Amino acid sequence: MAPKGSSTPCSGVTLKVRPCVAIGDAIRAHTGYLARGYDLVFESPKSDKLSLFDLGEKAYDHLLILPPRSKGFGPALSPKNIVNFINQDGNVLLALSGKSTTPSAISSLLLELDLHLATDRSSVVLDHFNYDTLSASEKHDVLLLQRPGQLRPDTKDFFGGEGVLALPRTAPHTLGDTALLTPILRAPVTAYSYNPKEDLSADDDVWATGSQLALVSAMQSRSSSRFTLLGSAESLQDQWFSATVKVPGSEQETGTANQEFAKQLTAWTFKETGVLKVGKIEHHLAQADITAEDLNPAIYRIKNETVFSIEISEYSNDKFVPFEVPANDALQLEFSMLSPFQRLKLEPSSRTENSTIYTTQFTVPDQHGIFSFRVNYKRPFLTNIEEKHEVTVRHFAHDEYPRSWKISGGWVWIAGLWSVIGGFLAFVFVWLYSEPTSAKTKKTQ
Amino acid sequence: MAPKRTPAAASSAAASGSSGPVSAPSPQTTAAPSSLSSGPKTLTTNSSIFDIAHTVWQQYLATTPQRTLLLDAFMAFLVLVGGVQFVYCVLAGNYPFNAFLSGFSAAVGQFVLTASLRMQTSSPSSSTTSGEEGAFADYVFGSLILHFFCINFIN
Amino acid sequence: MAESPTDVLLKGDSGRNTRGLLRFIILATIAAAAVSSRLFSVIRFESIIHEFDPWFNFRATKYLVQNGFYSFWDWFDDRTWHPLGRVTGGTLYPGLMVTSGVIYHVLRFLTFPVDIRNICVLLAPGFSGLTALAMYFLTCEVSPSPSAGLLAAAFMGIVPGYISRSVAGSYDNEAIAIFLLVFTFFLWIKAIKNGSIMWGALAALFYGYMVSAWGGYVFITNLIPLHVFVLLCMGRYSSRVYISYTTWYALGTLASMQIPFVGFLPIRNSDHMSALGVFGLLQLVAFADFVRGFVPGKHFQRLLTTMVILVFGIAFLGLVLLSVSGVIAPWSGRFYSLWDTGYAKIHIPIIASVSEHQPTAWPAFFFDLNFLIWLFPAGVYMCFRDLKDEHVFVIIYSVLASYFAGVMVRLMLTLTPIVCVASALALSSILDTYVFASNGPNPRSKANDDTPSEGLRSARKPEVGITSYLSKAFMLTSVVIYLILFVAHCTWVTSNAYSSPSVVLASRMPDGSQHIIDDYREAYYWLRQNTEHNAKIMSWWDYGYQIGGMADRPTLVDNNTWNNTHIATVGKAMSSREEVSYPILRQHDVDYVLVVFGGLLGYSGDDINKFLWMVRIAEGIWPDEVSERDYFTARGEYRVDDGATPTMRNSLMYKMSYYNYNSLFQPGQAVDRVRGTKLPMEGPQLSTLEEAFTSENWIIRIYKVKDLDNLGRDHGNAMAFDKGHKRKRATKRKGPRVLRTE
Repeated sequence: MAPKGSSTPCSGVTLKVRPCVAIGDAIRAHTGYLARGYDLVFESPKSDKLSLFDLGEKAYDHLLILPPRSKGFGPALSPKNIVNFINQDGNVLLALSGKSTTPSAISSLLLELDLHLATDRSSVVLDHFNYDTLSASEKHDVLLLQRPGQLRPDTKDFFGGEGVLALPRTAPHTLGDTALLTPILRAPVTAYSYNPKEDLSADDDVWATGSQLALVSAMQSRSSSRFTLLGSAESLQDQWFSATVKVPGSEQETGTANQEFAKQLTAWTFKETGVLKVGKIEHHLAQADITAEDLNPAIYRIKNETVFSIEISEYSNDKFVPFEVPANDALQLEFSMLSPFQRLKLEPSSRTENSTIYTTQFTVPDQHGIFSFRVNYKRPFLTNIEEKHEVTVRHFAHDEYPRSWKISGGWVWIAGLWSVIGGFLAFVFVWLYSEPTSAKTKKTQ
Repeated sequence: MAPKRTPAAASSAAASGSSGPVSAPSPQTTAAPSSLSSGPKTLTTNSSIFDIAHTVWQQYLATTPQRTLLLDAFMAFLVLVGGVQFVYCVLAGNYPFNAFLSGFSAAVGQFVLTASLRMQTSSPSSSTTSGEEGAFADYVFGSLILHFFCINFIN
Repeated sequence: MAESPTDVLLKGDSGRNTRGLLRFIILATIAAAAVSSRLFSVIRFESIIHEFDPWFNFRATKYLVQNGFYSFWDWFDDRTWHPLGRVTGGTLYPGLMVTSGVIYHVLRFLTFPVDIRNICVLLAPGFSGLTALAMYFLTCEVSPSPSAGLLAAAFMGIVPGYISRSVAGSYDNEAIAIFLLVFTFFLWIKAIKNGSIMWGALAALFYGYMVSAWGGYVFITNLIPLHVFVLLCMGRYSSRVYISYTTWYALGTLASMQIPFVGFLPIRNSDHMSALGVFGLLQLVAFADFVRGFVPGKHFQRLLTTMVILVFGIAFLGLVLLSVSGVIAPWSGRFYSLWDTGYAKIHIPIIASVSEHQPTAWPAFFFDLNFLIWLFPAGVYMCFRDLKDEHVFVIIYSVLASYFAGVMVRLMLTLTPIVCVASALALSSILDTYVFASNGPNPRSKANDDTPSEGLRSARKPEVGITSYLSKAFMLTSVVIYLILFVAHCTWVTSNAYSSPSVVLASRMPDGSQHIIDDYREAYYWLRQNTEHNAKIMSWWDYGYQIGGMADRPTLVDNNTWNNTHIATVGKAMSSREEVSYPILRQHDVDYVLVVFGGLLGYSGDDINKFLWMVRIAEGIWPDEVSERDYFTARGEYRVDDGATPTMRNSLMYKMSYYNYNSLFQPGQAVDRVRGTKLPMEGPQLSTLEEAFTSENWIIRIYKVKDLDNLGRDHGNAMAFDKGHKRKRATKRKGPRVLRTE
């Protein structure tokens, strides 16, 4: 991947962005990878040829947008088109820069995603404690941060590692309340947002400070297409890949981990990591021998013992590997009708070369209706699993109840019934037998 | 509960009913003893309830033809069976309710059918059109239907 | 069976044979007339199932025929009442389906390859012929005159009150139930006349069949005990009463309990308690009677009566106690609504919302019964004159049925048979009197009154001119004219009012030619062909059976209104704002929403007119969230135009009905032809649904429920964004800043 430049593009090597190419454009990647085999197309944002769609279908798989040199984007990159691109499962990496004002089109696009930029759209993040003393000793606008670790104890870590990140002139943003958004890198608590074109004295309304400022964030749509917002386009430049930096108060100069981070970031955005795939889903009655006809029946009966299993693999860089649920997390199965009747943890039962099979067994509730097996696994940085399989749960058929003689409590009444019938037969017999005599008695009377 | 109780109530009420009408009209009985001519003993004005019941019993034994006695024995048997079932239900609960219902209603149904047969056969002035054989055939017909339903219902 | 009357014209065997043959021919003709007069719709339209309910019966019959009886018995229907499903096999009256299934298999066996649909369409007319026959038997039991039976059969064959539920294509439970009702009553009267176990057992068997066919069996369950009770109170106890009633009750109750839907109801439900009470009472009376044989006494009768009343009072008290303590199920709501017409409206709007459950309008009596309605009291009076057991039955039946018919339109059906019997009694007595007066030594001759209606009062007048040909001719002509008018009326009513299938609407073009409006089927077939097999359709429950039958798609609610809450949920979804409705739709997996809109065509049976019922039913469950008052303007009007309340205009139903309707008209000229009002300039906007289909005349509109927004926005914002509106920045938040934490 490399954005198209007016001069020579760095076509196809690593993820390098030269300062001269800071125009930012579209990338096409047919075969899969950027430096790792992506087929790149560079376009100027105002180019007439540029179109994200071809006959209504998306023309590219991924899109990398860098800050343009000119003031705005062409019609091909209108917010609507980019939203459509995301809706059609395209992935977008958008890099901003604090050096120039962000175009309003980008701002309103981000607003749709519930990402908020500062009102003036040209602020940068300053931090007087975590800046690079070598390159920004005056302005304090090159942040030096540790690489992000785990977001939460129950998530996977795709961006971790050793080293320091240098984020020069970062345009900050804040996250809205949507569950689809996840911050990858937050500003340190001592950071704040500052517009170099205005006086600092106008601090009457602080927009956001500290770790509420996000520097790198990810949005994963419900269809699992990914959108990454990077506050500092400059950090992707070669210059910062190989730069040496120094934290204030520290004597030691260190190199940056920008290159590694950029690789992780694009790999995640362009779905090389964190992609889950559901293989077979099977459910059947819990019984010893299962033939093909017994698999995935459309109808169960109340109080059946049922086994459910789901096969999940995770795509990691170039192959599918068995998916392991993070330590503090659980993959759950819901058996629900309107609301869950059962919510069970799926346990890994077996493992193939590139998938794990999770299984659980339970008793169908005593309620008939149209139920569904649901696996709804939505975690930050992992693509969504939302499986729903409808089955019908029926009542006992008339011949599935215990017969009356199997219930010992009913024996008395069964005996009663048969004694009545027996008595009746005896009576009929005696009656018929006694007929002539009664006739005689009548006569005698 | 109520449906189950009714036949029992019928029998108990019938028992009380037997004493009721007897005690009250006792002044009358002296006035018209001739109607009880077949009885072995006439009632006096101030005879006790026990006496009256005894008289009724004696009279019953004397006047009832043998065949009707057979019917009555069968009916008594049915009452017994029904009563036992009902008492068991009260004591032990009615868990397989359909079993209780079919067992009990078999007894009740058979009882009323037999009572019907008794009415048709015992009183010569019966208003029914069919003869004795016809009544008996009807009775068997009704009973078979009853048994079919009960067996079907008891499952 | 009709040989009992002693006829004046009886002259030996040959005469009897001739008259038997004649009677047979007449009956056959009546049956044929009954069948053929119900075929208007088949001839005029096609062989199709008409109303709403029959579609379910038809579907169930198809299931029965395809899958056999046992799987029908255990049928769990997962295509209705999504997601609850319905234990259909255990919650329906299977008599109708089993009957047509049996007919189907018999015809197959006889190598008649008949389509099951045709059997279903023609079942009701076929059974109406049998009803006429049963009516003949019933009336012959009541009346000594053979002409009464024939007249009653003829009346029953063509009276509109019965035709309304038995035209070809109206494949409803009533189609066979009325026959069973009449025939059960016939057997009952036969039983009580003969006092034989056999007739009682037969009555019980047919009662069991009736139970399996129609919920209206409760009418029999209460009428027969009442008859017996009245007989007891009149001091008419006899062994016949005992035999017939106890046989009927013991066998009939057991028979009815074989139907899974009825189950233990006969001993649990209060509706059935009177039968049980009378059964117990009869035992007491019989025992007392038995004892009386040994202990005679002049005032035994009086003692007996006091004892009866005493025991009855105690039993009644016990019943009340048990009902209060909840051992016996309380009276069902429909039952209450029989006594208090306002009850349903307040407590169970779902029952009140059914048009069949509305009180009957007075003109309906004349419309459905024509001149029978004024012969009816005369017939009842005749029963009083000749008060035998069966006449008591007729009187009780007429009193009860007239009351019930006044309360519910639907129960007109139960009134119709007895009206036919009574008026046949009256008319035949008039005819007998006048036609045979000359040669009959009838001492109670009648005067020459002008109209048959006054023929009764004439009973006391001395005989003047009754034998003259003038009066005879006059009488006969007037009766014949009345009969002709009756036939004309019946034909007219049948052809105009009852033979139009509600699935297909017919209208007249300006030039008089007929125009068929087939929007329903158009829409249902659209659903069938363009949606997934498992796409869930939400609509108001009226259309549930049709969608299930014609479109073959799962529905949320249907005409089997067994779950009020579920219906209220649909009502709430229809009557709330989109933001409230959408989660409900999602939760119930709804894919499409179907509404009926008559505004373009002037079709008044549309959903906007039913809307208030949806609101009321929803309000019954969620009084805090839905309020009927909000749908009326401040002046209490129900409006859809500019003056409509915001709640009304934001409701999903309103929006779905009028969405894009403006585009049909010049700006500002949109008119709703049902409500006769102009609509607002701005049409409603829909964001959570999108229009999927609108039928030719806009009667059916189908909307697709959108999926959640891919980017997690709400639909309103997504719509605004798609339209190019810039989103306002959310900078001016009120209240404290919300910090985001992970």
